Amino acid sequence: MSQFRAKKLDLSCFINVRVLRDHTKRKVFEQYETERQALRYIIRNTTLPGRARAQAQLQLSQMHCYTRSTQINNRCIEGGKSRGVFKDFRMARYPFRMNALEGNIPGVKKASW
Amino acid sequence: MSVPQSRIFDLLQVQCRIFSQTFNPQRLRTGNRVLRQRLRGPSVAAYYPRRVATIKDLKKLYKGFDEEMETWDDDEEDRLEHLLLAKQRGKGAPKKKRTAEESKKIKGKKKPAVAAIAPKESKF
Repeated sequence: MSQFRAKKLDLSCFINVRVLRDHTKRKVFEQYETERQALRYIIRNTTLPGRARAQAQLQLSQMHCYTRSTQINNRCIEGGKSRGVFKDFRMARYPFRMNALEGNIPGVKKASW
Repeated sequence: MSVPQSRIFDLLQVQCRIFSQTFNPQRLRTGNRVLRQRLRGPSVAAYYPRRVATIKDLKKLYKGFDEEMETWDDDEEDRLEHLLLAKQRGKGAPKKKRTAEESKKIKGKKKPAVAAIAPKESKF
Protein backbone atom coordinates (compact mmCIF):
# COMPACT_ATOMS: atom_id res chain seq x y z
CA MET A 1 0.00 0.00 0.00
CA SER A 2 1.10 3.50 -0.71
CA GLN A 3 1.24 4.50 2.94
CA PHE A 4 4.40 2.41 3.32
CA ARG A 5 6.02 3.48 0.08
CA ALA A 6 9.16 5.59 0.29
CA LYS A 7 8.58 9.21 -0.61
CA LYS A 8 11.69 9.22 -2.73
CA LEU A 9 12.77 6.46 -5.07
CA ASP A 10 15.53 4.40 -3.45
CA LEU A 11 16.15 1.69 -6.03
CA SER A 12 18.75 1.56 -8.74
CA CYS A 13 17.66 -1.59 -10.58
CA PHE A 14 14.87 -2.01 -13.10
CA ILE A 15 11.77 -0.35 -11.68
CA ASN A 16 8.13 -0.98 -12.33
CA VAL A 17 5.24 -0.87 -9.93
CA ARG A 18 5.53 -4.54 -9.03
CA VAL A 19 9.20 -4.24 -8.15
CA LEU A 20 8.43 -1.13 -6.14
CA ARG A 21 5.64 -2.93 -4.31
CA ASP A 22 7.83 -5.90 -3.50
CA HIS A 23 10.60 -3.62 -2.27
CA THR A 24 8.14 -1.79 -0.03
CA LYS A 25 6.91 -5.09 1.36
CA ARG A 26 10.46 -6.11 2.17
CA LYS A 27 11.12 -2.93 4.08
CA VAL A 28 7.84 -3.17 5.99
CA PHE A 29 8.59 -6.80 6.83
CA GLU A 30 11.99 -5.78 8.22
CA GLN A 31 10.41 -3.06 10.29
CA TYR A 32 7.77 -5.26 11.90
CA GLU A 33 9.65 -8.55 12.13
CA THR A 34 10.50 -8.28 15.83
CA GLU A 35 6.93 -7.42 16.72
CA ARG A 36 5.65 -10.41 14.80
CA GLN A 37 8.19 -12.72 16.40
CA ALA A 38 7.25 -11.49 19.87
CA LEU A 39 3.58 -12.17 19.18
CA ARG A 40 4.43 -15.58 17.77
CA TYR A 41 6.39 -16.37 20.92
CA ILE A 42 3.41 -15.47 23.10
CA ILE A 43 1.13 -17.62 20.97
CA ARG A 44 3.41 -20.64 21.05
CA ASN A 45 4.14 -20.44 24.78
CA THR A 46 1.70 -22.80 26.51
CA THR A 47 2.79 -21.68 29.97
CA LEU A 48 1.26 -18.22 29.46
CA PRO A 49 -2.43 -17.62 30.27
CA GLY A 50 -4.84 -18.50 27.51
CA ARG A 51 -6.34 -15.06 27.39
CA ALA A 52 -3.01 -13.41 26.63
CA ARG A 53 -2.31 -15.97 23.94
CA ALA A 54 -5.68 -15.45 22.33
CA GLN A 55 -5.13 -11.71 22.36
CA ALA A 56 -1.75 -12.15 20.73
CA GLN A 57 -3.33 -14.33 18.06
CA LEU A 58 -5.88 -11.66 17.33
CA GLN A 59 -3.25 -8.96 17.21
CA LEU A 60 -1.05 -10.96 14.87
CA SER A 61 -3.92 -11.69 12.52
CA GLN A 62 -4.88 -8.03 12.46
CA MET A 63 -1.44 -6.79 11.45
CA HIS A 64 -1.10 -5.39 7.96
CA CYS A 65 -0.54 -7.99 5.25
CA TYR A 66 2.66 -6.18 4.15
CA THR A 67 4.30 -7.22 7.42
CA ARG A 68 4.06 -10.87 6.40
CA SER A 69 7.05 -12.61 4.90
CA THR A 70 4.84 -14.66 2.59
CA GLN A 71 3.94 -11.51 0.68
CA ILE A 72 7.50 -11.18 -0.54
CA ASN A 73 8.39 -12.58 -3.92
CA ASN A 74 11.82 -12.55 -5.52
CA ARG A 75 11.78 -10.54 -8.73
CA CYS A 76 14.33 -10.08 -11.49
CA ILE A 77 16.49 -7.00 -10.98
CA GLU A 78 16.99 -6.68 -14.72
CA GLY A 79 13.40 -6.81 -15.89
CA GLY A 80 11.12 -7.19 -12.91
CA LYS A 81 9.94 -10.66 -13.93
CA SER A 82 8.72 -12.90 -11.14
CA ARG A 83 9.02 -16.29 -12.82
CA GLY A 84 12.16 -18.23 -13.53
CA VAL A 85 14.26 -16.05 -11.23
CA PHE A 86 17.53 -17.53 -9.97
CA LYS A 87 17.78 -16.79 -6.28
CA ASP A 88 21.58 -16.60 -6.27
CA PHE A 89 21.79 -14.16 -9.16
CA ARG A 90 18.46 -12.32 -8.58
CA MET A 91 17.88 -12.51 -12.31
CA ALA A 92 15.38 -14.24 -14.53
CA ARG A 93 16.67 -17.02 -16.75
CA TYR A 94 17.05 -14.94 -19.93
CA PRO A 95 18.90 -11.91 -18.50
CA PHE A 96 21.00 -14.40 -16.56
CA ARG A 97 21.95 -16.19 -19.77
CA MET A 98 22.77 -12.94 -21.54
CA ASN A 99 24.91 -11.68 -18.67
CA ALA A 100 26.61 -15.03 -18.20
CA LEU A 101 27.52 -15.28 -21.87
CA GLU A 102 28.93 -11.76 -21.78
CA GLY A 103 31.00 -12.73 -18.76
CA ASN A 104 29.42 -10.21 -16.41
CA ILE A 105 28.71 -12.79 -13.72
CA PRO A 106 31.89 -13.96 -12.03
CA GLY A 107 32.35 -17.69 -11.74
CA VAL A 108 29.74 -18.62 -14.30
CA LYS A 109 30.81 -20.41 -17.44
CA LYS A 110 28.91 -22.15 -20.20
CA ALA A 111 29.20 -25.87 -19.70
CA SER A 112 30.13 -28.11 -22.57
CA TRP A 113 31.10 -31.75 -22.53
CA MET B 1 23.82 -51.40 33.44
CA SER B 2 21.15 -48.81 33.93
CA VAL B 3 21.72 -45.16 34.82
CA PRO B 4 19.25 -43.52 37.22
CA GLN B 5 17.09 -40.86 35.60
CA SER B 6 18.08 -38.20 38.12
CA ARG B 7 21.66 -38.61 36.98
CA ILE B 8 20.66 -38.07 33.35
CA PHE B 9 18.72 -34.97 34.31
CA ASP B 10 21.77 -33.62 36.10
CA LEU B 11 23.82 -34.18 33.00
CA LEU B 12 21.19 -32.45 30.86
CA GLN B 13 21.13 -29.50 33.22
CA VAL B 14 24.87 -29.08 32.98
CA GLN B 15 24.71 -29.44 29.22
CA CYS B 16 22.05 -26.74 28.98
CA ARG B 17 24.06 -24.42 31.19
CA ILE B 18 27.19 -24.84 29.09
CA PHE B 19 25.46 -24.28 25.77
CA SER B 20 23.13 -21.61 27.23
CA GLN B 21 19.96 -23.49 26.42
CA THR B 22 16.83 -23.61 28.52
CA PHE B 23 16.48 -26.69 30.68
CA ASN B 24 13.03 -28.12 30.05
CA PRO B 25 12.72 -31.70 31.33
CA GLN B 26 8.92 -31.76 31.10
CA ARG B 27 9.19 -30.79 27.42
CA LEU B 28 6.73 -27.97 27.78
CA ARG B 29 6.00 -25.90 24.69
CA THR B 30 7.52 -22.61 25.74
CA GLY B 31 7.94 -21.12 22.30
CA ASN B 32 11.68 -20.69 22.69
CA ARG B 33 11.99 -21.99 19.16
CA VAL B 34 10.65 -18.65 17.94
CA LEU B 35 13.13 -16.68 20.02
CA ARG B 36 16.02 -18.75 18.74
CA GLN B 37 15.22 -17.92 15.12
CA ARG B 38 17.40 -15.34 13.48
CA LEU B 39 15.92 -12.13 12.15
CA ARG B 40 15.70 -12.32 8.38
CA GLY B 41 14.68 -8.72 7.83
CA PRO B 42 18.01 -7.10 6.98
CA SER B 43 18.92 -9.72 4.38
CA VAL B 44 15.42 -9.73 2.90
CA ALA B 45 15.31 -5.94 2.61
CA ALA B 46 18.71 -5.87 0.89
CA TYR B 47 17.50 -7.85 -2.12
CA TYR B 48 17.14 -5.03 -4.62
CA PRO B 49 20.17 -2.80 -5.21
CA ARG B 50 19.64 0.51 -3.46
CA ARG B 51 20.15 3.79 -5.22
CA VAL B 52 23.48 5.42 -4.62
CA ALA B 53 24.21 9.11 -5.16
CA THR B 54 23.56 10.23 -8.74
CA ILE B 55 24.92 13.20 -10.64
CA LYS B 56 21.58 14.91 -10.16
CA ASP B 57 21.94 14.57 -6.40
CA LEU B 58 25.47 15.93 -6.52
CA LYS B 59 24.33 18.90 -8.55
CA LYS B 60 21.60 19.61 -6.06
CA LEU B 61 24.00 19.31 -3.16
CA TYR B 62 26.57 21.74 -4.63
CA LYS B 63 24.18 24.23 -6.14
CA GLY B 64 26.28 27.32 -5.55
CA PHE B 65 29.45 25.90 -7.07
CA ASP B 66 28.33 25.66 -10.69
CA GLU B 67 31.18 27.78 -12.05
CA GLU B 68 33.94 25.89 -10.29
CA MET B 69 32.58 22.40 -10.68
CA GLU B 70 31.84 20.92 -14.05
CA THR B 71 29.48 17.98 -14.18
CA TRP B 72 27.99 15.99 -16.98
CA ASP B 73 24.96 13.77 -17.17
CA ASP B 74 24.73 11.72 -20.33
CA ASP B 75 21.20 10.56 -19.69
CA GLU B 76 19.94 14.07 -19.10
CA GLU B 77 21.67 15.30 -22.26
CA ASP B 78 20.13 12.48 -24.28
CA ARG B 79 16.72 13.35 -22.93
CA LEU B 80 17.07 17.04 -23.79
CA GLU B 81 18.33 16.20 -27.29
CA HIS B 82 15.36 13.91 -27.83
CA LEU B 83 12.99 16.66 -26.69
CA LEU B 84 14.63 19.16 -29.01
CA LEU B 85 14.29 16.82 -31.99
CA ALA B 86 10.67 16.11 -31.14
CA LYS B 87 9.93 19.82 -30.98
CA GLN B 88 11.60 20.40 -34.36
CA ARG B 89 9.38 17.79 -35.92
CA GLY B 90 6.38 19.43 -34.35
CA LYS B 91 5.82 16.47 -32.02
CA GLY B 92 6.69 18.24 -28.79
CA ALA B 93 4.45 18.70 -25.79
CA PRO B 94 1.84 21.45 -26.11
CA LYS B 95 2.48 24.77 -24.44
CA LYS B 96 1.32 25.26 -20.90
CA LYS B 97 -1.99 27.06 -20.75
CA ARG B 98 -1.92 30.04 -18.43
CA THR B 99 -5.58 30.90 -18.08
CA ALA B 100 -8.65 28.79 -17.42
CA GLU B 101 -10.24 29.81 -20.71
CA GLU B 102 -7.34 28.62 -22.80
CA SER B 103 -7.31 25.23 -21.15
CA LYS B 104 -11.05 24.87 -21.48
CA LYS B 105 -10.95 25.24 -25.24
CA ILE B 106 -9.18 22.00 -25.93
CA LYS B 107 -10.51 19.91 -23.12
CA GLY B 108 -12.44 16.86 -24.28
CA LYS B 109 -14.60 16.25 -27.28
CA LYS B 110 -17.46 18.44 -28.28
CA LYS B 111 -20.52 17.18 -26.51
CA PRO B 112 -23.48 16.32 -28.75
CA ALA B 113 -26.58 18.44 -28.43
CA VAL B 114 -29.33 17.31 -26.09
CA ALA B 115 -31.78 16.90 -28.91
CA ALA B 116 -29.59 14.36 -30.61
CA ILE B 117 -29.45 12.17 -27.51
CA ALA B 118 -33.18 12.10 -26.89
CA PRO B 119 -34.87 9.22 -28.73
CA LYS B 120 -37.04 10.23 -31.61
CA GLU B 121 -40.72 9.68 -31.31
CA SER B 122 -41.87 7.00 -33.65
CA LYS B 123 -45.30 6.94 -35.16
CA PHE B 124 -47.07 3.82 -36.19
